[in-house]
Amino acid sequence: MSATIKYYCSCLSNTVVPPAPHLPSSSHSFHTLPELYFCEECDAVRCNECVSIEVSGYYCPNCLFEVPSASVRAEKNRCARNCFFCPQCFNTLAVVPSDPPDGTSFHQANSMGEPPFLLYCNNCRWDSAEAGITFEKSTGLAQQLQKHEDSAPDSLEFERLKDFFEPLLRASSSNTQHAPGTSSHSTHTNPITAAASSALARDIPGVSKYHPPPPRSRQKSKHGSKDDMPTYRSRVEIGGINGYGAGGEKDADLFSRLEHPSQVSTLAQKWTGSWSVSPLSRDLKPIRIPLHSRLTKRCPSCRHILIKPEQKAQSVRFKIKLVAANYLPAIEVHLPQPTASTRRVPGARTTQDADQSNSSRSSLLPGKSYPFRLGLKNPLYDPIQVRLVVQRQPLPAVPSAGEASTEKSRRPPFAISLPSTAFSIAPYAEAWEYEDEDDLDGLDDDDGLSPVKAAKGRSKTVGVLEKKANTTIVGGEIVIAKDGRGDAKFNMLVSYTYRSDEPPVDEMIGSKRATDLVKTNPETKTFTFYTVVDLGTIIPKEDARTASPDAY
Amino acid sequence: MPPIRDKFIIHSKAVVCQDVDLKGDITIGPGTVVHPKAIIYAIGGPIVIGSNNIIEEGATIVNRRKEVMRIGDENLFEIGSRVESPSVGDQNTVSTKARVHHTVRIGSHCSIGPKCFINTSEDIKLDDFTVLYGPNWEERLWSGRGQKQAEDLSTKHVEYLKEWLPKFNRLRRGEMP
Repeated sequence: MSATIKYYCSCLSNTVVPPAPHLPSSSHSFHTLPELYFCEECDAVRCNECVSIEVSGYYCPNCLFEVPSASVRAEKNRCARNCFFCPQCFNTLAVVPSDPPDGTSFHQANSMGEPPFLLYCNNCRWDSAEAGITFEKSTGLAQQLQKHEDSAPDSLEFERLKDFFEPLLRASSSNTQHAPGTSSHSTHTNPITAAASSALARDIPGVSKYHPPPPRSRQKSKHGSKDDMPTYRSRVEIGGINGYGAGGEKDADLFSRLEHPSQVSTLAQKWTGSWSVSPLSRDLKPIRIPLHSRLTKRCPSCRHILIKPEQKAQSVRFKIKLVAANYLPAIEVHLPQPTASTRRVPGARTTQDADQSNSSRSSLLPGKSYPFRLGLKNPLYDPIQVRLVVQRQPLPAVPSAGEASTEKSRRPPFAISLPSTAFSIAPYAEAWEYEDEDDLDGLDDDDGLSPVKAAKGRSKTVGVLEKKANTTIVGGEIVIAKDGRGDAKFNMLVSYTYRSDEPPVDEMIGSKRATDLVKTNPETKTFTFYTVVDLGTIIPKEDARTASPDAY
Repeated sequence: MPPIRDKFIIHSKAVVCQDVDLKGDITIGPGTVVHPKAIIYAIGGPIVIGSNNIIEEGATIVNRRKEVMRIGDENLFEIGSRVESPSVGDQNTVSTKARVHHTVRIGSHCSIGPKCFINTSEDIKLDDFTVLYGPNWEERLWSGRGQKQAEDLSTKHVEYLKEWLPKFNRLRRGEMP
């Protein structure tokens, strides 16, 4: 589907009105409905950027073992059992016994298989013997590898680094205790950030050196503590275990003797290693699978839990799950593309060209009008009344006196018409309750008679088009100005009224209409939210002409 | 092009389901299992399939050439794969939705990964123990370790199918239509 709709979360701004959709920064405020949460206490939409996150447990994604958080650090965030990634293709590896000696069938041999055991990739048929790794037992492979890993130069170096920074860290923590607040905020006195920045400035083979901006002299004179830190010298020179990978003579020699591209390890294969990895793919080692975590998410303002997974790693259920999809009507946008037979206007080839460059988005031509459809689905067990309002493109509050004149000369690139009256959406029900479809239709007609009539009076495209079960499809129309360009994106205010058990509180943005409703019917409650509808890109006229010269 | 004359020789110990699409001169060896909805077309020349092969649903084997297309023993053609190579050795695996063009001969012990596509303009032969895998059809050589286990697994697979397929499918016999 080319046209998209996203929902607004007001966490990034102080106002409830979303930023204009054509601003690049606005994309961070809009999310798809499945990504959003809903806090019942605050009666507000929450997104992944504003919720506070706590880790409720760690587990291995392969063996689903729940790792106690105490041992996560010791195991370096990786599975300490038998779970490994293939270094060649990142498939998970299987433990297999080695082949029995010739002559004996596999059945006759020991059921557990013969040592030495190997790690074997079923996808690319890599096995750990190629990297010189075999195991005596088929269980606890990570422990068996631990000895090798601990003596490897990179882990020794890491230990040394930790030892090196530990006194500095301790000093800083005691410093901050003496003078809390002041020194900890400075970037230069904090050894952790200093260490991080020096790590960033380190030479990485194959990556051009990062030059940090020169520190301001004022700051330097103020806190000279960066100089207090002795320079760290690594125990071994950068370079793989066998000296390759440092970009020196040895590497050049190696590459001059290459015969096949598959002998070289790819960037993706080397990327996971923190130490410089050998450029030869045969030297790559199996990778212990990184642990995953399950998260608990809380509302930022009232601290109520929005998402709480079950403790077991095997379980896919949630103890608490307050997702916006259960509260807000799900909206789908559909922009019927003119088919080749019906509209052979300049579009035919232009659309194709635009599709190639801008693959999934639909393209619109200036000076045309396009009907589009919005399908709204009610997730509540009560019927709701929905009103759609298009937010004015230049925000009414923003334009100052100076801008007003330019605003006049520059007309908005497109105009949107939507049904202006409220329409109803039938309640959600389980599938088996929809048997008597006719009754439901009759009921709906009584409810939504006026919008249907109004729509017929005006045009066939704008208005309520279809009602089925808990879905109502309304039609809208976009008219694109002759000199329109840019994206056909607009903010849409959706307000819906539902019957509420709680006493009505109009703390919401509440348009005038909404407050009226609350007054007339104390049982109902209105919730308002913003969405952004993206119908596609307007192809500027010049482009359309050059793209399809034969059409004119 | 002359009309294709159908001639099927199916070994009495082969398991070929009724609902397979066969065309042309086809010989199927003992122990070979052909699942329903498999497609075998001998358009150009005849197709000779050896013993203990498994041809799964939707797998397509086509011979476009005049010469005989020979398929060895203990090969596995997975669901939706398409093989047109003029010769296939022994103990190969052609994974799901993989495609092998008619210019490529397959050796033995090769593994062609899911959705891999081999298409060359001139004739080539995949060496023994070649493995193709991944979205970019990377190529490497299998060390051959675990070969016995692979053989064992393939034998068990054939045995299982020979026992269970006939219970749920009508079988085709090698009669002349």
